[in-house]
Amino acid sequence: MTTSARERPPSLEVRDLDKRFGSVQALSRASVQFRSGRMHALLGENGAGKSTLVKCVMGYYRADRGTILVDGTEREIRSPLQSRALGLGMVYQHFTLVSQMTVAENLILGRAHLPAVIDWRSEHRLLGEFMRGMAFRLDTGALVASLSAGEKQKLEILKQLYLGRRFLVLDEPTSVLTPDEADQVLGEMRTLVDRGMLTVVLITHKFREVMRFAQDVSVMRGGRVLLTTETAATSVDALAQLMFGGDTAVGAAPAMDRTRAPGDVYCEVRELNAQGDRGTLAVADATFALRKGEILAIAGVSGNGQRELVEVLAGQREATGGSIRVDGRPYARSRREMQRYGVFLLTEEPLLNDCVRSLSVMANLALRRYDQPPIAWHGWLRRRVLRQWAEALIARYRIHASSPLARIDTLSGGNVQRTVLARELSEDVRLLILQNPCFGLDAAAAAEIRAQIAAARDRGVAVLLVSEDLDEVLELSDRIAVMSGGRIVFECERANADRYELGRHMTRSADAQPEAA
Amino acid sequence: MTGAAGIGWYGVALAIVGGALRVSTPYLFVSLGEVLTEKSGRVNLGLEGTLLMGAMTGFAGATLTGSPWLGVLAAGAAGAAFGLLHAAICNLPRVNDIAVGIALFLFGIGLAFYLGKPFIAPRAAMLPALPLGAWSDEPAVRAALEISPLFLIGAALAVALQWGIANTRLGLLLRMAGESADAARALGRSVNAIRTLATTAGGFLAGVGGAFLSLYYPGNWNEGLSSGQGLMAIALVIFARWSPLRCLWASLLFGGASALGPALQTVGVTSGYYLYSAAPYLLTLVLLVYSSSTRHALSGAPSELSISR
Amino acid sequence: MRSTSGSAVDRTGLTGSAAAQPAHRASSWPVARVYVEPLEALVLSAGALAVALVLFGVFVALGGRNPLAVYSALYLGGFGTRFSIEGTLTQASPIILTALCTALPARVGLLVIGAEGALVIGGLCAVLVATAVATASPWVGTLAALLGGALAGALWIAAAGALKHWRGVNETIASLLLNYIAIALFNHLISGPVRDFSQTLKAQSWPVPDAFRIGSIPGWSVHWGLVIGVCICIILFVLIRHTTLGFSMNVLGGNRRAAQVAGLPIGRLVILACLMGGGAAGLAGAIEVLAVHGAASESLIVGFGYTGILVAFLARQNPLAIVPVALLVGGISASGGLLQRRFDMPDATTQVLQGLIFVCVLASNALAGRWRWFARSP
Repeated sequence: MTTSARERPPSLEVRDLDKRFGSVQALSRASVQFRSGRMHALLGENGAGKSTLVKCVMGYYRADRGTILVDGTEREIRSPLQSRALGLGMVYQHFTLVSQMTVAENLILGRAHLPAVIDWRSEHRLLGEFMRGMAFRLDTGALVASLSAGEKQKLEILKQLYLGRRFLVLDEPTSVLTPDEADQVLGEMRTLVDRGMLTVVLITHKFREVMRFAQDVSVMRGGRVLLTTETAATSVDALAQLMFGGDTAVGAAPAMDRTRAPGDVYCEVRELNAQGDRGTLAVADATFALRKGEILAIAGVSGNGQRELVEVLAGQREATGGSIRVDGRPYARSRREMQRYGVFLLTEEPLLNDCVRSLSVMANLALRRYDQPPIAWHGWLRRRVLRQWAEALIARYRIHASSPLARIDTLSGGNVQRTVLARELSEDVRLLILQNPCFGLDAAAAAEIRAQIAAARDRGVAVLLVSEDLDEVLELSDRIAVMSGGRIVFECERANADRYELGRHMTRSADAQPEAA
Repeated sequence: MTGAAGIGWYGVALAIVGGALRVSTPYLFVSLGEVLTEKSGRVNLGLEGTLLMGAMTGFAGATLTGSPWLGVLAAGAAGAAFGLLHAAICNLPRVNDIAVGIALFLFGIGLAFYLGKPFIAPRAAMLPALPLGAWSDEPAVRAALEISPLFLIGAALAVALQWGIANTRLGLLLRMAGESADAARALGRSVNAIRTLATTAGGFLAGVGGAFLSLYYPGNWNEGLSSGQGLMAIALVIFARWSPLRCLWASLLFGGASALGPALQTVGVTSGYYLYSAAPYLLTLVLLVYSSSTRHALSGAPSELSISR
Repeated sequence: MRSTSGSAVDRTGLTGSAAAQPAHRASSWPVARVYVEPLEALVLSAGALAVALVLFGVFVALGGRNPLAVYSALYLGGFGTRFSIEGTLTQASPIILTALCTALPARVGLLVIGAEGALVIGGLCAVLVATAVATASPWVGTLAALLGGALAGALWIAAAGALKHWRGVNETIASLLLNYIAIALFNHLISGPVRDFSQTLKAQSWPVPDAFRIGSIPGWSVHWGLVIGVCICIILFVLIRHTTLGFSMNVLGGNRRAAQVAGLPIGRLVILACLMGGGAAGLAGAIEVLAVHGAASESLIVGFGYTGILVAFLARQNPLAIVPVALLVGGISASGGLLQRRFDMPDATTQVLQGLIFVCVLASNALAGRWRWFARSP
C-alpha cells in the first residue's frame, strides 16, 4: 500500500486512437503523451472526447484502432481490471462510493484480495497509519452519507492512493467543490506530483485550473487532440481559440440589456422548509424574491438543498414550512395555477425530470397544453390538431426528430432539451425556473439556451436560475444568492460579486445568520 | 387433550408460546433467506411458490429415502433452483424483479401441485422433535415446549448471518451490491453474480422452511399447506429492518399471531375461526403501514431495492 | 435531480451529446419507426408464447407423455369443438375483467395484484345487494347487484391505492395481503352470517333471486358477462387513447416526476385507476355469482384474479389486447379437463403452462428495444 519514492510513477502514451459509437466518431486518431511525474491537463468542451479517451485507457471502452503504451511498453487493456493492475486509476465526476457504508469499508472494498473474515481492529489500525501519511484526513468510522461533497471527492482520491495507483486521472474533480476547496485539492495533487509520487491527468474545461496547476496541456475538439504543449508556453486565449475553433463568441456571455431596472416582485418565497430523502432537513428557512425582468441566480455546491428547493417549486416535493406566493397570492403548484401564473420550468437531465421517455415528441411537447383548446375538446383529445400544432413547434425550434411520433428518447440530448425549451418558452411565460439547464450539453447548445434565457429576461420574465456552475452564474445573473446547508446565506448584486467571496459563503456553517451585501 | 378445559386462558397463553416456537420456523427461514436476497438489492416475491416447492420436495424426498433430513436437503436444493431461476431472469436487462417474483409464485405453486400429486399421503418420515418440556407433568406444557431442531438451527443461523454480514468479505460485497450497484461495478465486481448467489441462498433457506411445513408441522402434504407465509416473510423483513437477528424476534411474533386461532379453539372459541386466520395478514398490513412513509425510504432499506424507492 | 445511476462506468444517452453532432439525424423509414413499437410488442409476446410452449413440451415429455399429442389436446380442449369454445369463453369472461385490475393501475405506474380479493368481495356484495332489493324488478335488481359488486371491488383496491399514495405503502404487497384478508372475510361470512343452511354440501351464501340471474347469449351456452367485459375493454381503450384523462394517466405512468412538474393531480389519478381496476374485478365476481353459480361459495375462489395478472402482462397492459389474450389463456384453462381425462395429468398442469408463459413474457422484455439500438445515438 505504500508507494516507493524511488520508483518513478508511470508514463502513458496513446497513439492514433479511434473510437466510434454508432454513427458518431468519438475519437479520431487521437495521440498524446503523458509524461511521468507531471500534471497534464486535458482541456476540451463537453463532447470533445476527453472522457472517451480516458475510458479507453482505463479499459471501460475498447478503442477500434490505435495503441496504448505504459512506460514505453505496448499494452492491451481490455478491461478495468487490467488497467488497475498496471497501476492506473481514475476518479470520476459522480462518486463511486457506497453512501451507507463507512469510510473504512469503502476503502478496503477496493482491494482486489480481501480476507474471508475481516479483522476490523487491525484494518482500522493500518488505515490510520495510511491516513497519517496523507495531506487530507478523514474519520475512518464515519458514514460516507455524512460527508460533504468535498470530503467525498477527497475520499475518492484517497481510495486510489490507498490502492497503490500512481497514474491518476481526475475527471472534472472540482465540479462539486468551492473555489477554495478546489485550490486545496489541486494544490495537494500538484505537491504529490512534484514529490515524484504521481502522474496526474486532469480533465477539465476551466482555464484557471489549467494555467495554475498543470504543467502540460492538451486541447481536444471533435475527437481529435489538436495540440499538446507546456502551459508555460501558451496562453488562455490561444487555448480558447483551439477549444472553440475560433468561434470565441460561443464561449462568451449572451448580450443582455443591463440598463433596465427590474420590475415588481412576482414571486416571493419565505422561510421555506423541506425534508430531504433521508429524513434530514434539506431546505431551511429559504427566503428570496423574484422580480420581473431580472435573473436571480442561486449559486452553491451540489448537495446543499438546491435540488430540493427546485423540486418544491416544481411540485415534486412537499414543503414542510414557509410559503410561496406568486403575483401576491399563495401558490400551491396545481396545474391550473401554473397555467394562470405562467410558471415554467427547465431542469437538467430532462428525460429523467420533466419528460416521459416512452411517449412521443408530440406528446411531450403537449404536456402543458393537452387539456386546453384547441387540442382538447370537452375532455376529448384531438390527435390531428395535436399533430399539426406539434409539427409547427418542431419547425420553429428546429428540433431534429425523425417524426413527431418518434419516441422522445430516440433524440439526442440537445434535441431533448430543445423540445423542453419549445414547450416551456413558447407560451406566455411570466415565471421561469431553471436548474442547471445546460448540464451536459455542448457549447453551441448551451449558448443557444442561454440566449433564450436572456431574451426571456429582457421580455420581462422573472427568472430563477439555480446553478452549480459558478461561471454560468456570474455570466447570466442580475442578482446572486448563495445557498449553503439549505439556507440562503448571502445575497449580492452581480456587479459586486467576487468569485472567492462567493466560494467562502458556499461552505459557511448552516447556523450562521444570512448576510446581504 | 386432557386438562385443557381446566387450564383455560393459561392454556391459551401456552398454546401461543408453543405456536410461536413452532409456527415461527418457516417464517424464520424464509425471512432469513429474503434478508440475504434483499440485502443484495433484489426482491423475491416468489417465495411462496418456492416454499411450496420445498414442502413438496421435502415430503417426496423423505418418502423416497426414508430420511427426513435428506428430505430437508432435497427441499433446500429445490428452493435453490427456484432462487437461481429468479436471479437468472432478473439478471437480464429491463426485467422487473417484482413481476418475476409474481410469475414464479404462480409457477411454483402450479409446479408443486403438479409434481406432488403422486405423493399425497398422510405422512412421510417426520422430523424429530426435542422434548424440552419433559420436566413438566402437564401435557400442555410438554406439547408447547416440543421444539424442532430446525428452529434451533434457524436461530443459530440468524446470529451467524448478523455477524457475517458485518464481518466477512461476502457480507461486505453483499451490502455493496444492495447499496450501490454503480460503486460495485466501478470496483470491477459483478453485481449480477453477487445477487445470483444471494437469491439462490435465499431460495435454499425458503425451501428448507417449506420442508418444515410438510415434515414437522402440520406434517403432511396437501392443497392448503401454505397460506401466504412466503409473502408475509417479505413484510417481516421490512418490519425487522433487514436485520437477521430482528427477523428471529419478528418470526416469533408472527408465529404467535398465527397460533391465535387454533389456540382459542382449545378453549372452545370456535366462531370467527376465519377471522382469526386473517390475524397475521392484518398484523402484516398494519406493520407495513406503520413502517412506510411517503417522505423517505424505509429505514434501513438497501438503496438498490425497488420496493423501497 | 441528477440521475442516481449516473454511473461512473457508463454515462450514456441522457446527456447524449457526442462529438461532432450531425445537423440532422434522419431515419430512412420515418413511418416504419412509428409502428415498430406495437409490432415489436406483438412479435415479442408471440415469441415468448412459442418458447413457453416448447418448454412445456419438454416438461411433458419428461413426464412420459407425447408433447404433440398434448398440444393437440390443448387446442381441442380450448378451441376444437363448439363445446370447448363455449368453455373457453366462459373461462375468459372473468379474466378479461380481472386483468383490468392489474392493467389500469399499471398505466399509472402501480403494480397491483389484488384482483382475487376484489373479485370475491364483489361476488359477496352482489349477493348482499340482490338480497336487499329482492322485490325489485329484474333489470333493476340485476343492475343493482352488478353495481354493488363493482363498487365493493373498487373500494377494496382503492384502499391499496390510497395507502400507496398517502402513506407510501408498497401496493403490490398491500394488494396481495388484502387478497388474503378478503378471502378470510368471505369465508367467515358465508360460513355463518350469510349462510344458506339448506345447502349441506358446502358452505354457501343466500341464493340470488332467480329473476336477477344473468342468462346466456341466445344460441350459445355462454353468459352475457362476456359481452359486458369486452365492451368495458373497448371503452377503456378509447378512454386511454383519446381523452385528456387517459393522457394524464399515461404521463403519470410514464414518469411520475414529469407528471408532478405538469401539475397533474396524482392522488386523484391513482385512486381513479384503482377504482376502475377494482371495479372491473368486483364486477367479475358479481357476474360469476349472477350468471354462473347463483350464490357465493368457495367456487368463486379459483384463481381468476391471478390468471388476470398473467393476461395483463401478456397484453402489455393494453385493454384492447386483453380480449384476445384472455381468450388464449382461457382456452388453456378450459382444456385442463381434457388433459386430465386423456393423459391423467393433474389439473395443476394448466397452471404450470400459464406460469411458464408468464416467465417467458417477462424475460422477453429484455429483448425490447434491441432493434432500434443501431439507429440510436450513443
